[in-house]
Amino acid sequence: MRYDVTMGPIDARELEAVVSHPGAGAICTFSGIVRDNSRGQSVTHLDYEAYAEMAVPQMRKIGQEIKQRWPAARVAMAHRTGKLEIGEVSVVVSVSCPHRHEAFEACRWGIDRLKESVPIWKKEHAADGTYWIEGDEAKPAETR
Amino acid sequence: MAVAIAVRVRFFARLREQAGTETEALHVQPGSSLAEIYDALRRRHPALEADHHAVRGAINQELSDWAAIPSDGDEVAFIPPVSGGR
Repeated sequence: MRYDVTMGPIDARELEAVVSHPGAGAICTFSGIVRDNSRGQSVTHLDYEAYAEMAVPQMRKIGQEIKQRWPAARVAMAHRTGKLEIGEVSVVVSVSCPHRHEAFEACRWGIDRLKESVPIWKKEHAADGTYWIEGDEAKPAETR
Repeated sequence: MAVAIAVRVRFFARLREQAGTETEALHVQPGSSLAEIYDALRRRHPALEADHHAVRGAINQELSDWAAIPSDGDEVAFIPPVSGGR
């Protein structure tokens, strides 16, 4: 198990190595990538900000929830903070299980829970301005 | 009059920009709720989000109700809704 909030680049292969073991016949890894557009506008880059002291325990809690639902699962998660360019990896969730079906399910469940409950915020630098993304809403930022 | 308690306030993301600060030491009356503390902070930082529904409070890194009451030395954080996304 590994749960990180980090300023540096995330290596998905490294997280897969953490969850890999001889009884794991399937590893499912989700990577979130910085996209060049949002809300119909072109995006130049993103800033991610975390409440790290709360985010890491919340990730750990999601890992424990995954273990309750899929007892054979092993989980690793990492989220990046700071300035991210287009194409860079912002978040990785890697889950190993004996078989592929539960690996896919547990990984998807993990990234969905992370997105809705881990205190990390995205600031989008777009052609029409700079916005904080809060759920379905884009709210203008005070500073660029 | 009761002796004031000290809390460490932290702001994140859009609320941090509105407050113009990441962290602030605050003295409040014992028994003050998160809602009362936030409203006191809004008087100090009028740009802070007015809508309680667009803010969550946390005490010592645990999400808490607006009625929750922090203790002396606690870390109180005010955070916007998280990114979400599809």
